[in-house]
Amino acid sequence: MIPRPDKLGAPMGALLAVALALPLASYRANRIALAEARGLFEALPAVWAAALLACAVATIAVALFVRPPAIRLAVPALTLLLLLIAIGVAARMLMANGADYARVAPGTGFWLAGFALSILITDAIVRLKPGPFLRLGVFALAAAAIAAILVTGEWNALSILAEYRGHAATFWREGAHHLQLAFGSLAAAIAAGVPIGILIHRSERLKGPVLSTLSLIQTIPSIALFGMLIVPLSWVAANVPGASEIGIRGIGMAPAFVALFLYSLLPMVANTAAGLSGVSPSVTEAAAGMGLTSRQRLISVELPLALPVILTGVRIVLVQNIGLTTIAALIGGGGFGTFVFQGLGQTATDLILLGALPTVALAFAAAVVLDAVIDVLPGAKA
Amino acid sequence: MIRIEGLTKEYAGNAVVRDVSMEIEAATITVIVGTSGSGKSTFLRMINRLVEPTKGVVEIDGTDTREMKAYELRRRIGYAIQDHGLFPHWTVARNIATVPKLLGWDRKKIDARVHELLELLQLDPDEIAPRYPHQLSGGQAQRVGVARALAARPDMLLMDEPFGALDPVIRAKAQTDLKSIQDRLGSTILLVTHDMAEAIRLGDRIAVMSEGRVEQLAPPAEILTHPASDNVRNLVGDDDRPFRYLSLIPVSERTEEGTAEGTPIAADRSLYDALAEMIWSGREVLPVVGEDGSARGLVRRGALLDAARSVA
Ligand SMILES: Nc1ncnc2c1ncn2[C@@H]1O[C@H](COP(=O)(O)OP(=O)(O)O)[C@@H](O)[C@H]1O
Ligand SMILES: [Mg+2]
Repeated sequence: MIPRPDKLGAPMGALLAVALALPLASYRANRIALAEARGLFEALPAVWAAALLACAVATIAVALFVRPPAIRLAVPALTLLLLLIAIGVAARMLMANGADYARVAPGTGFWLAGFALSILITDAIVRLKPGPFLRLGVFALAAAAIAAILVTGEWNALSILAEYRGHAATFWREGAHHLQLAFGSLAAAIAAGVPIGILIHRSERLKGPVLSTLSLIQTIPSIALFGMLIVPLSWVAANVPGASEIGIRGIGMAPAFVALFLYSLLPMVANTAAGLSGVSPSVTEAAAGMGLTSRQRLISVELPLALPVILTGVRIVLVQNIGLTTIAALIGGGGFGTFVFQGLGQTATDLILLGALPTVALAFAAAVVLDAVIDVLPGAKA
Repeated sequence: MIRIEGLTKEYAGNAVVRDVSMEIEAATITVIVGTSGSGKSTFLRMINRLVEPTKGVVEIDGTDTREMKAYELRRRIGYAIQDHGLFPHWTVARNIATVPKLLGWDRKKIDARVHELLELLQLDPDEIAPRYPHQLSGGQAQRVGVARALAARPDMLLMDEPFGALDPVIRAKAQTDLKSIQDRLGSTILLVTHDMAEAIRLGDRIAVMSEGRVEQLAPPAEILTHPASDNVRNLVGDDDRPFRYLSLIPVSERTEEGTAEGTPIAADRSLYDALAEMIWSGREVLPVVGEDGSARGLVRRGALLDAARSVA
């Protein structure tokens, strides 16, 4: 008798099977030439293709019928690692008989297989119910694997790395801008949002108006908000002495920073207030009854107990800002978005990916790290 | 000694505590009892100024509490509440150390005090001190709450339904333990409850509250024998009054000369216990023994019933 296939394993296994039939890589004679598909056995030496196929088939079988989460994690993870190395091998092989400016990029088969494997891995990790440290460990391992692949030059023949080599200097500069904008606006939002959150927690009268104003800001589309800030900031730059010297302009980092800050306020303020009102009334009453002053109560009892919820706000803001910073490039704010919009202009997919992939990786890393931190806090258990 | 005079609290013109006056002797337990909403908590919280009185005076050892900073006053008064209000992000030891830390005690002294208090409340210090509140049972958490309230040797202890969340068996034990701790330390305790049985078991004096007023302030026996109003009578429960009364009187008070057969009863048990024993064992007379097991005489069923009848 055949056991019932796994609910998530069945569709993901099917997806993986489809991916095997789709092109693993795409080959272009030059950067903007039409792409030609290369299937698994066209793109890879026979040994590699066979190994990858075998691993994929094993993964499908595991996804469908195997229970223990450890195996459900190990087999797709191994397959994913092989896939990541194989795409580099494929690029080298395809480039070997092409011109210097030929390009090899991952094909739909690669992306689909990568997606299915990631879902299976994530699902297995969830089933393992890992603690925060194990999650961080798994994440560090994955990051280390990707870093190793990059450093050893396994992927050097891939078009996205060719694109990187063409933009190496600006890549790290824009990366630094991206982080400055995302983290700088987060820091400003924490510095302003936590006190505002404390204030509205204490004053029922202010709560409604403050929260509705901040929600209103959230409803403005990001491009419109960036645009709306150009006018007042240009005015400030032109009329306030010293403003333009410290970098305030109608376009560039300043409006991007202000817009990101404004978007970040609602999550910070709302989560601070929610965290504080989530503190059990008997705890605040006991704290007052023991003779803690109102300041001591806030600092040593209320804020620490609200911290997990406040950090959830930080996580929301950070992930949101890392994504939104991409748009800042439109008004000259810099960041990885620069590559995305250049790439869109030139219909150069590789350039778009050069901006998009690091952004996604950063957002993912921020989410994983902050989730783990939130779980480690002692207040989270109560 | 605590002197309370004309204490009143109004919310939007509605008095929830009305003109309450009383004097509380040091080293006694005064229990405030009343139905829910009668103003007990508000009254209690005016003493440590968690609620500021609309009118009236509270004096502790002759000092008007309004002359102190509220937080300084509260550090001198222990406070224990129904849901114990332990700080969930601190260990038991850190929780108990709250007020001593605020008062700037040095570490050695605090550690020794925490150890001493946990032992006093029959908790194993090595095992319990490092735990977090979510790792405690309800009864343990309640005892830690009491330990925390006692930590800085406060002048007095305010307790708002401290046993309200406990199941009946643990609750009875907690009451006995509180009584013996109070005996040992000579603390002045003001305790709020809605449970008359608890009030009778614990109180040296009972203040019965109704609609913000103290309707009667008297020792338990007097509350039982001479309820001052229908409200008090209802709260005691007419049917239970004789039994409650018997539970207050020790067997030694009705012991007569003579000898009797069967399992003896200790002289410090209550007449209520003696009656129960008579009913269970089908006897009319029980021999009475002292703490050391020596014969003290006997107690008769007739004498018990006479005592119970005197309440009616
Ligand atoms: N902060 C407040 N504002 C308005 N009314 C209150 C407040 N605190 C208590 N009350 C009212 O005072 C009355 C007595 O409350 P409380 O002292 O808590 O009674 P008890 O402890 O006897 O149950 C209740 O009717 C309650 O609704
Ligand atoms: Mg109450």
